[in-house]
Amino acid sequence: MKLNHFFRVFHITILSFVFFTFKTFATGNIDERVKKLTLELRCMTCQNQSIYDSDAEFSNDIKKIVKQKLQEGKSERDIKRFLVERYGEYILFRPLMNYNNIFLWSFPFILLIIGLFFVLIKTKTKKA
Amino acid sequence: MNRIIILTPLIILLIICIFSLTYLLSGKDPNKPPSALLNKNVPSFESTSLYDKKEIIRTTDIINRKTLINFFASWCSPCKIEHPLFFEIGKKYPELYLLGFNHKDTNSDAKKYLEDDGNPYDFVGVDSDGLIALEFGVFGLPETYLINEEGKIIYKFMGPITIDILKNEIEPLL
Repeated sequence: MKLNHFFRVFHITILSFVFFTFKTFATGNIDERVKKLTLELRCMTCQNQSIYDSDAEFSNDIKKIVKQKLQEGKSERDIKRFLVERYGEYILFRPLMNYNNIFLWSFPFILLIIGLFFVLIKTKTKKA
Repeated sequence: MNRIIILTPLIILLIICIFSLTYLLSGKDPNKPPSALLNKNVPSFESTSLYDKKEIIRTTDIINRKTLINFFASWCSPCKIEHPLFFEIGKKYPELYLLGFNHKDTNSDAKKYLEDDGNPYDFVGVDSDGLIALEFGVFGLPETYLINEEGKIIYKFMGPITIDILKNEIEPLL
């Protein structure tokens, strides 16, 4: 009887330990994801600060909403889309890959091609 | 001939850069971030009245009538500056529906503010948790939105409205 009681207590202890460890891990994970995502978001009321680094009321609201959405199971992409719909692309530090930004993203490659073209011409002229 | 071949791509690149810069910087004030909701449908919202919790306003209630939405709070000093102008707007455009959203405020403070300075709004909705402001993409108070009869946001202004802004930017849209 005593042994039975001991096992019951032991089981409860182990289960509680597993539950709290999992809960702490999950919360920690969410906080890490909030940090990662809010570092990519611009504080609209500050000068060149990320939402994560800022303590402005606007930033604190966004941090809250990001955490809430992550806890609801929304993906980072969904959250970014939600914020861009309301605050515009300006809220993102890294511009989206879309047709509007095609020139922005392709410009370094255009420069590279032009640079290579120059190098080729120069080499050819030197050889001649 | 060789020089022309070398210089042509450079000139083309320079022209592209000048055009892109002109396009990117034209009419953009770095102090005024662009509004994503301009010319889009008004976000859906539901809010209770500051004076009667049973009275509720929803997005559907402002469709088919021109509405001026103003986010304000008793703790917001710039809101006090623009406040008297809403009485003028209300007098001059009685058909315009003035909707105020009391943002992150206590009911008692908001009521006292409207008692002291007067209440120019047709309806004062409560936005105590700031979620309605978030739907509208509000960064800071005060912010004002003009909604047309089709329920589209046709104008947004961040900061306190002045007589000049009212005359030059808002009135032509009314």
